[in-house]
Amino acid sequence: MSTTATEHKLPTFAPMPLEDIAKVREELQRGFASGKTRSVAWRRAQILALVYLIKDNIDRFNAALALDLGRSPLETHIAEVGPTLDELRVLYDGVAKWAKTESAPFSTAWFPMKPQIRKEPKGVVLVITPFNYVITLSMCPIAGALAAGCTVAFKPSEQTPHASALFAELMPKYVDTDVVRVVNGAIPETTKLLEYQWDHIMYTGSGRVARIVLTAAAKTLSPVTTELGGKSPAIFGPRCNLKTSVRRVLWAKFANSGQTCIAPDYAIVPKSLELDFIDEIRRVLPEFYPDGAERSSSFSRIVSFRGTARLHALLQNTKGETVCGGRVDVEARFVEPTVVRGVGGDDSLMSEYAVILELFGPILPIVTVDDVDEAIAFVKARDHPLALYVFSEDKEFQQKIIESTQSGGVLVNDTMVHFAAYGVPFGGIGPSGSGQYKGKYSFDMFTHLRTVLVSASWLDIILSGRYPPFSAAKARKMDMLTLPSFPSRPKVPPVPSEVPQSSTSRWGAGVVVALVVSMTALLTRSSHRRS
Amino acid sequence: MAVPDYVPTPVDDIPTIRAELGAAFRAGTTKPIANRREQLLALAYLLKDNIDRFKEALASDLGRPALETDVLEVGGTLHEIKDAYDSVARWARPQRAPFALNYAAMRPTIRKEPKGVVLIIVPFNYPLLLTLEPLAGAIAAGCAAVVKPSELTPAFSALLADLVPQYLDPALYRVVNGAVPETTKLLEQPWDHILFTGSARVARIVLAAAARTLSPVTTELGGKSPVIVDASCDLRTTARRLVWGKTANAGQTCVAPDYVLVPRAFQDKLVQACIDVLKEFYPDGAAESDSYSRIVSPGHHARLSALLEKSGGTTAYGGGKRAEDKFIEPTIVTGVGLDDSLMSEELFGPVLPIIAVEDINEAIQIVNARDHPLALYVFTQDSRVKKQVLDGTQSGGAVVNDCLLQVTADGLPFGGIGPSGSGSHTGKYSFDMFTHTRSTLDNPSWLDLVMGGRFPPFTDKSTRMMRALLVPSLPARKSKSAANRWGSYWVMLSLACAAAAYGAKLIAERKQ
Repeated sequence: MSTTATEHKLPTFAPMPLEDIAKVREELQRGFASGKTRSVAWRRAQILALVYLIKDNIDRFNAALALDLGRSPLETHIAEVGPTLDELRVLYDGVAKWAKTESAPFSTAWFPMKPQIRKEPKGVVLVITPFNYVITLSMCPIAGALAAGCTVAFKPSEQTPHASALFAELMPKYVDTDVVRVVNGAIPETTKLLEYQWDHIMYTGSGRVARIVLTAAAKTLSPVTTELGGKSPAIFGPRCNLKTSVRRVLWAKFANSGQTCIAPDYAIVPKSLELDFIDEIRRVLPEFYPDGAERSSSFSRIVSFRGTARLHALLQNTKGETVCGGRVDVEARFVEPTVVRGVGGDDSLMSEYAVILELFGPILPIVTVDDVDEAIAFVKARDHPLALYVFSEDKEFQQKIIESTQSGGVLVNDTMVHFAAYGVPFGGIGPSGSGQYKGKYSFDMFTHLRTVLVSASWLDIILSGRYPPFSAAKARKMDMLTLPSFPSRPKVPPVPSEVPQSSTSRWGAGVVVALVVSMTALLTRSSHRRS
Repeated sequence: MAVPDYVPTPVDDIPTIRAELGAAFRAGTTKPIANRREQLLALAYLLKDNIDRFKEALASDLGRPALETDVLEVGGTLHEIKDAYDSVARWARPQRAPFALNYAAMRPTIRKEPKGVVLIIVPFNYPLLLTLEPLAGAIAAGCAAVVKPSELTPAFSALLADLVPQYLDPALYRVVNGAVPETTKLLEQPWDHILFTGSARVARIVLAAAARTLSPVTTELGGKSPVIVDASCDLRTTARRLVWGKTANAGQTCVAPDYVLVPRAFQDKLVQACIDVLKEFYPDGAAESDSYSRIVSPGHHARLSALLEKSGGTTAYGGGKRAEDKFIEPTIVTGVGLDDSLMSEELFGPVLPIIAVEDINEAIQIVNARDHPLALYVFTQDSRVKKQVLDGTQSGGAVVNDCLLQVTADGLPFGGIGPSGSGSHTGKYSFDMFTHTRSTLDNPSWLDLVMGGRFPPFTDKSTRMMRALLVPSLPARKSKSAANRWGSYWVMLSLACAAAAYGAKLIAERKQ
């Protein structure tokens, strides 16, 4: 391993001294206060710098990720480099339009005050990223923060020491040190970071650590977006194109050795389809890994020995029957692509120590059901997943599943591609996370919507009813301005009998307001002309 | 009509209430838009039918004049409900993602789905607006909701608990009354969203509790919202609007102007104009006025009295206080230093400290040295000053030449930044707060002809294929390219025009 590291001149992982962290934040605050981040041209230049940080150093990142995750350069390219560059391009192209001040939609009552929404950067933000997609899950939010005009402290995972050290070496060569700073380290460094107030925190990782991050952020009132995970089901139904579906599910399950937050966690298959489903799996697997996964250059390793041992234990404790795979080599951090059938809701693969955790490894449990209702009940009995996948050509089946479940995203007849798709947000719901990002949604996450009104003096001709001393006449005047009319009351809820039914004329007040506004506008215009 | 008694909800009932709402939500009755509109209309009539009872309750809780409730709360609240009623069908419609060649075949769509069962925690100061507005948002979004009104407004909270089951579907919308034990129990439950409006101190407790259940939280807090008055302002209007913003609800407004920064040379004029306005507002003094509210609790009255007593400033007007009826006179204090007691916390009372500064730059520096406020007000007729202040500061919202109006302005989000809160609401933004944007794609099998390169075994060929698909063309490193590209577009365009003109000429000649 070390030979590869020297060959590619990979730096060594060095945690940041704890006492430096305060200085990093101060410097980032100075960078933000300097005002340079307000310029859209500047923001585009920073995004471009990140683009070239990746492009210029692809070989070194590949080498680092081969060491950290045993991942093939080709997989890194497909899973990380392509989607990241695509996303940075979207941000680069979009930022000028997104950052423009927006006018509120027209409203008769408010237009004289020129209501506007300014898109202002929140300030200094913290981005904490996990080990599984080192490039994508860091560069996408960081570029989003830069697009919004924020400065960024970036804490990559300590579980990918080579890649994280590489980031620390490269970042200052491409981006100013008061704009993006890499803070390497583990629990002590993260704890220190979280002692400070941040204008936004984006945390990607596990629900367990998210609770710690949120508790720390509560003390400093720092807003947090969490991207977590959960057991994302792949539900099979009638009339599904088995050949396509199985390929797409196995691809997502075994990509990065299953260490993907939106990997299908388990499959729900109708009893009648199970045998065909397994046959198809047995056909696809040798196609993916002709000489077996262990020797394939297209199959990754588990990030840590501990993670491998955990998966090993889960496999040993399952009551299901292994259909294929099952081999684990803890020393090599290798878990063979594995499919297990006959898995119940209480199996080790479905709930770990009574806690429902996602597998995060190349193991696909198959849960069989009698019908669609049982499938829905199975999903609804668990936490809302980050993703839900439906495989069926039957529109009714698709709709029924989509309508009666909740999940971060939902895909019909495919897996994972929604992360990369243009123009849709990516994010969880409930225990799978809160808030969303990608493209404009990343910009929005780090942007404060600052409302601005400009109220001319002449408006008091209309609005003076608000000032004391109050009188019945003033109240009537304000009522006329502000009280909307409603359709007649709904019949369903009980109506208190002593109240007479009142029906207001719908347009009366609105017309009066419009008249008053236009007349005053005319009056003031003529008075201006006179002066 | 008598105000019902304030009864805290039994703590043991709270988990049951949460479970019942969860079951009702899962049954799907909130999904049809017609059901949501029906509940919104019921909510509007809940208020319309009982305006007088609400005014009576708020008079009892806040000593607030009935007419002030009209001006400050009733209209704005009904307006918000009407907006939700009129717009919910449009807001809830699934949204197509903007076109992209790579993904168009997958029909990327954003579904607007209700998050689930939400909790709305309301403070004492504007109970009507701050309860019914977010509740309208929750109903519009298709969520079930528990509302927890403040224990500091017992009459209002009791009335609300009495009316909600009469008007709204009790399976979906519930009121929980009580104080710390009840709120603690509520926060032990998981919620699909929590909206907390109140103080930063309690917000920390709410957020820490929500962290355990991973419940997302929107916080609407407050902070010391500054007013920067420039010598170029329309003095009389400025004084009226400023004093109105400060004295409305006796200063107990999260977006009330907290303190004033004014150039030293202009200070006396401003103070005199404010005093004139106060005399106009309360001709017989505020104590006698039927247009002036009281402080909500003896505790808050004592807090404000202590802040006033400790202040090193000079009382230019007012200063009167009376514990029996929780009265604090509208008060203007000049010569206030940045370390004065009146600058130590959000005042939330009718006390206006005036700080003299050298110029607008110093005012901006003072604002930036403190926590980001929920609101920032600047009074000026000079557009350069306006720009300088807006560009040079951060705040939840900002109003030029007025106060308070941003909260219910149509089409604008209301929310803080940093310590003044996170997330925004009102109107469509309330709908969005309680809505999950669920991305969906539907990927036909034939697309694997193009996307097959993603499947193992990875080869150089499959990588090239995926690269061509995924990696966009990127601008050159040192990018003057934007200008160049536009340049070339213009060249192309003029060439095309010339060609078209030439073609047209040819055709015309041939016709002849």
